Amino acid sequence: MSASLERGLNAFKGQIDAPVAAFFSSCVRCGLCAEACLFYTETDDPTLTPIHKLEPLRRVWRQEYTFWGKLAKAVGLSKPVTDEELTEWEPLVYDSCTMCGRCSMVCPVGNEIAYMIRKMREGMAAAGHAPTDLIGATQRAVTIGSPMGVKLPALQAQIRHAEAELGFSIPVDVEGADYMLLLSSMEIMNFPEFISAIARIFKHANVSWTISSEAFEATNSGIQIGVSEIAAELVERIVTAAGKLKVKSVISPECGHAYMAIRWEGPNLIGRPYDFKVVHILELLDELREQGRLQTTGKETQRLTYHDPCQISRRGGVVQQPRNLIDMVAGDFVEMPETGTMNWCCGAGGGVSANERADELRLQVFKRKKKQLDAIHPDALVSACSNCRIYLEDGLEENGMDMPVLSLTETIAEHLAGSEQPGSKD
Amino acid sequence: MSETELLLWVRGPALQIATVIFLLGVVVRLAEILMLGRKKDFAEARGSAVAGGLRTILSRTIPDRGTLQRSTFNVVAGYIFHIGFFVVLFLFAPHILLFQDVTGVSWPSLPTPVVDATAVVTMIALLAVLAHRLLDPVMRFLSRFQDYLVWLVTILPVATGYLAFHRVGVAPPTTLITVHILSVELLMVIFPFTKLMHTFTLFMARYYNGAISGYRGVNS
Amino acid sequence: MTRINNDSEFRIALDALDPARQRQVAARFVENVLALCSDERIARVLRVAGNSESSEDALAEALKTARATTFDCHTRCGSEGDWAEQAGYFVARAATAALTPIGQMPSGPAWQAALSSRMAQTSQSIVTGDDTAGQESNQQYRILSEFLES
Repeated sequence: MSASLERGLNAFKGQIDAPVAAFFSSCVRCGLCAEACLFYTETDDPTLTPIHKLEPLRRVWRQEYTFWGKLAKAVGLSKPVTDEELTEWEPLVYDSCTMCGRCSMVCPVGNEIAYMIRKMREGMAAAGHAPTDLIGATQRAVTIGSPMGVKLPALQAQIRHAEAELGFSIPVDVEGADYMLLLSSMEIMNFPEFISAIARIFKHANVSWTISSEAFEATNSGIQIGVSEIAAELVERIVTAAGKLKVKSVISPECGHAYMAIRWEGPNLIGRPYDFKVVHILELLDELREQGRLQTTGKETQRLTYHDPCQISRRGGVVQQPRNLIDMVAGDFVEMPETGTMNWCCGAGGGVSANERADELRLQVFKRKKKQLDAIHPDALVSACSNCRIYLEDGLEENGMDMPVLSLTETIAEHLAGSEQPGSKD
Repeated sequence: MSETELLLWVRGPALQIATVIFLLGVVVRLAEILMLGRKKDFAEARGSAVAGGLRTILSRTIPDRGTLQRSTFNVVAGYIFHIGFFVVLFLFAPHILLFQDVTGVSWPSLPTPVVDATAVVTMIALLAVLAHRLLDPVMRFLSRFQDYLVWLVTILPVATGYLAFHRVGVAPPTTLITVHILSVELLMVIFPFTKLMHTFTLFMARYYNGAISGYRGVNS
Repeated sequence: MTRINNDSEFRIALDALDPARQRQVAARFVENVLALCSDERIARVLRVAGNSESSEDALAEALKTARATTFDCHTRCGSEGDWAEQAGYFVARAATAALTPIGQMPSGPAWQAALSSRMAQTSQSIVTGDDTAGQESNQQYRILSEFLES
């Protein structure tokens, strides 16, 4: 057995806990998980059945933690997990799964399959079976601080640009601010107007906030690839910065997996609770709305629908807040068939969009989102994750669908009442 | 060994052995799961894990609309044979007498003709799910030897019980009842080593699922 | 010539234009930064955008091309970003905005085109290290003033 395979198998073993054992014990091979997974429904490929993606992990569980399994292994009657098998499983675990968790919602015996995929990635990565694109992103995240190589001068240039447009300054490294905003590299590179949008909203609502020059990256590549040590290190950087600036809360921006990473996994990665709260930007905006600090004017006349980013909604628990916010600015809003915590994944999260090998599959499974949209004929799609946003745009464009994808935060910013807008419409 | 001796052995020592294996096996399997434990969650809770867990134990019994639409056969046939099996096992007067013998507890039975009809429906449902398992691409792909074995040991008690009750002339009544009891013992002995454990572990799985989601404020 | 001195005046003047004129002036904003984009499709779609005679079909086709170009130019999630290439992405986004029908964009397509064009310049400045804050805006004020006169 190669050293890397051994590391991988040990990692698999280490990841198996009571829930995992309960899940594997309960699976009755009914296949209902397949019909909940867009990677199966849009390809009809049985190998993309969610529970099947976990087969190597299941065998390790059986061989290490069950009586008959251990006995069979001892007498040489069990099938060992091999490098070849892990090579075969790599695309199943990384290309055809975004950890969207829809399978976990429908399994009749209650299996949390996405939870197990996350754990399986730890073993795959340890065994050297993670996609090269993700390995590169993770390396950059560790050495540069951003998976896309965004360095502080670039962020500073974006901030200066925003300040020129806004006519007021954006607080950086302000000690004692209430909120510390994180930004994902995707936003800084592809949707930097998000920065001005947030700044406008916070000025309007009189929010005390700052960005940290030492830890501004929200994306956690360690989670995508499945290397907890790296994921923990990336979280620690944020924790240190938050401590240094003595902020009360850290804001997770419009990026799905970033929220999962910092809000739900973070404290468990570093083995202790935070000294600060974590809010998703949508949660904060909704709080401001409730407190009457967010005043909007005018409504969008185009027909809007909302795409729930999986990690924010189903996996994150921020479901109603975006709807409250859309309600403020939408004149015509329609829910997708199967919405909220049962909405369908965009197909690009969890490292899939970073993985060039998965491009074709990603576009193929976009058809599931297309079917949802075809049922309701919206004029525009609103979402709150920059990854979903750009890859939904790709899918729409590929399918000849003429529909913009809007950021919820930016849309709110565009409708702010008052003089924060240069030449704002009334 | 004469027929009577065999029946006595099957009803006596064999049943005791099967019960011990069954109970021991189930306890060991459950212990194997629980001993692995679960790490403490340091993230700030939004909702209650316990409430979520208990809720999902119940709510997962009802399929979501999408699953019901896309996998109608699977859901409906599955429920029919599960409920049917339960009715035949626990609501049939002679079975209840047996349970009373062993545990001292008794409960009302359903009229025998009802149980009889249920047995037929259950067998038809079981045959249908086997056909589905063989014909549906996903199920055929996922299925292993164990899935077919479990199917067999599940239908055998129902079928042999039906034959025994109706004293179908293929064999003398004593033989029929012996075979029936043996088939039950086979089921009991195989139970802890297969997916039949889901009977107990699904409560744990559903609980964990609901707890993880409930902690985050999501109903799963 | 009406002098436009700040974004407030800029935006008011933009919003006062009819959709076709907004599209044409937006095309000029993008043309000003076209050198930052190496994809020749953008030059083509800008010609369509800038032409007052362009048909609905031609505009729709140009918009599709602009969107496709935008996606092709974006930096893939997790890949190593190059700010010089990102400038091209913002140019493409500006072109897309210029061609987007009014009502589809909360911020107004011409304004968005102006913003994205400025962002293209900022992107370039990250590479060169020059401080170009405000430069592109001033040029856009001039472009709009000249356009209003014509």
